[in-house]
Amino acid sequence: MKLDTSGLESVAPFLGVSSELVGGLSGAPYFELPNTANFDRFQKDAIQMVKPAKGTTTLAFIFKEGVMVAADSRASMGGYISSQSVKKIIEINPYMLGTMAGGAADCQFWHRNLGIKCRLHELANKRRISVTGASKLLANILYSYRGMGLSVGTMIAGWDETGPGLYYVDSEGGRLKGNRFSVGSGSPYAYGVLDSGYHYDMSVEEAAELARRAIYHATFRDGASGGVASVYHVGSEGWKKLSGDDVGELYYMYNPITPSTVEQEMTDVAGP
Amino acid sequence: MSIFEYNGSALIAMVGKNCFAIASDRRLGVQLQTIATDFQRIYKIHDKVFLGLSGLGTDAQTLYQRLVFRHKLYQLREERDMKPETFASLVSALLYEKRFGPYFCQPVIAGLGDEDKPFICTMDSIGAKELAKDFVVAGTASESLYGACEAMFRPDMEPEELFEIVSQALLSSVDRDCLSGWGGHVYVVTPTEVRERILKGRMD
Repeated sequence: MKLDTSGLESVAPFLGVSSELVGGLSGAPYFELPNTANFDRFQKDAIQMVKPAKGTTTLAFIFKEGVMVAADSRASMGGYISSQSVKKIIEINPYMLGTMAGGAADCQFWHRNLGIKCRLHELANKRRISVTGASKLLANILYSYRGMGLSVGTMIAGWDETGPGLYYVDSEGGRLKGNRFSVGSGSPYAYGVLDSGYHYDMSVEEAAELARRAIYHATFRDGASGGVASVYHVGSEGWKKLSGDDVGELYYMYNPITPSTVEQEMTDVAGP
Repeated sequence: MSIFEYNGSALIAMVGKNCFAIASDRRLGVQLQTIATDFQRIYKIHDKVFLGLSGLGTDAQTLYQRLVFRHKLYQLREERDMKPETFASLVSALLYEKRFGPYFCQPVIAGLGDEDKPFICTMDSIGAKELAKDFVVAGTASESLYGACEAMFRPDMEPEELFEIVSQALLSSVDRDCLSGWGGHVYVVTPTEVRERILKGRMD
C-alpha cells in the first residue's frame, strides 16, 4: 500500500545561500537559511505586506443538537464596501461546512479543493471522512504554503460517526479543536454575546437565535461586518440553512422605534 | 487608514429653490469600532447659517467652539448676524492660521444670504474654499456621495423634494462605506422655518 504523502510535500521555494562544502562533509542533513536581514520576522513581514484584513464576523459552536454556524456577508476593501452579499459559509459536502474569513479567493479555492479530497477519500475508503481528518488535510495544505501570503481563517464544522465536530484552521498552519469559535474583526463582539448566552442544552431554535444575535451585535459595532446574517445548523442528517436575515432590518426588530411626541420650538423669523 | 478616516463621517449640503438642505451621518467610531450612533456633526451658527464638520471628531468640536466664539464677538460688535459668505471667509482664515499643524477637518458651510439666496461651500483642511451652485460633499464616503448627488440632483427643487433627494443620496452612499452611517441627520432650511429630521438607516 502506497502512502499518500502529497499533503506533506512542500511547495515553498528554496531561497538563499546554499551551504555546500566542497569535497567535505557529505550526507550531513542541513537546511538552507533564507537570505534575509531578519530571520525571525521575515515570514511575518512577507505576510503582512499582502495580508488583506480579515474584515468579517463568523462563528460556530457545538451544542446538544449539533453544530451551529453563522456569518455576516460583507466584503470590505479598506473603507469601501465592495459587497454586501458574499457567501461566507461554504458547503464542502452535504454534512460539512467551512466558514470564510480572510482572502475570499483563498478560502473559496481551498475549501473546494478540500471537498474534492474528501470525496476522493470516500471513494477510496468506502466511508465518509471524519471532521478530524478533513480539517487535518486542510491544515497540512495551508502549512505547506506558510509564509507565502495566503490569508485563511476558517472553521470546519461537521457531523461524523463520533458526533458533531468543530475545528479552527488558519493560514499560519494552526489547527485547534474546540466547542466555540469566532473569527474575524467582529469576533470580540460576537464572543461577548455568544459566551454570555451559551448553554450546552439549548434547543435548535434557541441556538439559532443566539447565533443570529451574536452576528447582529458584531455587525452593529464592527464597521467591516454587515449585510445579511446567515445561520446554518449541522445535525445528524447533514447541514441545513436556517435563516438569512438582513441586519439592517434586524436592528429595528430588536430595537423598535416608539413614536414619541417631539417638542417643537416655534421661533419668529427676525426681520432684516 | 489616514487621520481623516479615524472617526468616519459623511456630509452633504444641497441647494434648492430658496432653500437648502444639510445632512450628515451619525456614527462616531475609532477606526472599525463604532462608539456612538448619535454624534452631532452639523451645528447651527445662527438661524440662517449652518456648519457641518467632517473628519477628526475632536478637531471638529474644537473648531466649532472657536467659530461660535468668534461669531458671538461679531454679533456683539456689529449687532447683527454674520452673512454666510463672511462666515465662510472666517472659517477659511481660521484654518489657514494653522497651515503647518492643521485641524484635520473638512467643513461644509450652508446658509441663506442676502434676499434669502442659498449659499453653500466646502473647504479642505487648510482653508481652500470651493463654492458650488448645486451641492457639496465631505467625509470618508465622499466619492460615493459625489456620484449619488450628481445622479440625483436637479436645480430648483422644493423643500420636500430636496429632503427626499438629500436623504436618498446620503443613505445610499453611506451604505457603501464601512466608516460612516448608522442613521442620518437632515436639516432643511427655508426663510421661514428649519426642519430637522433623523433618518432611519442601516445600522451595520
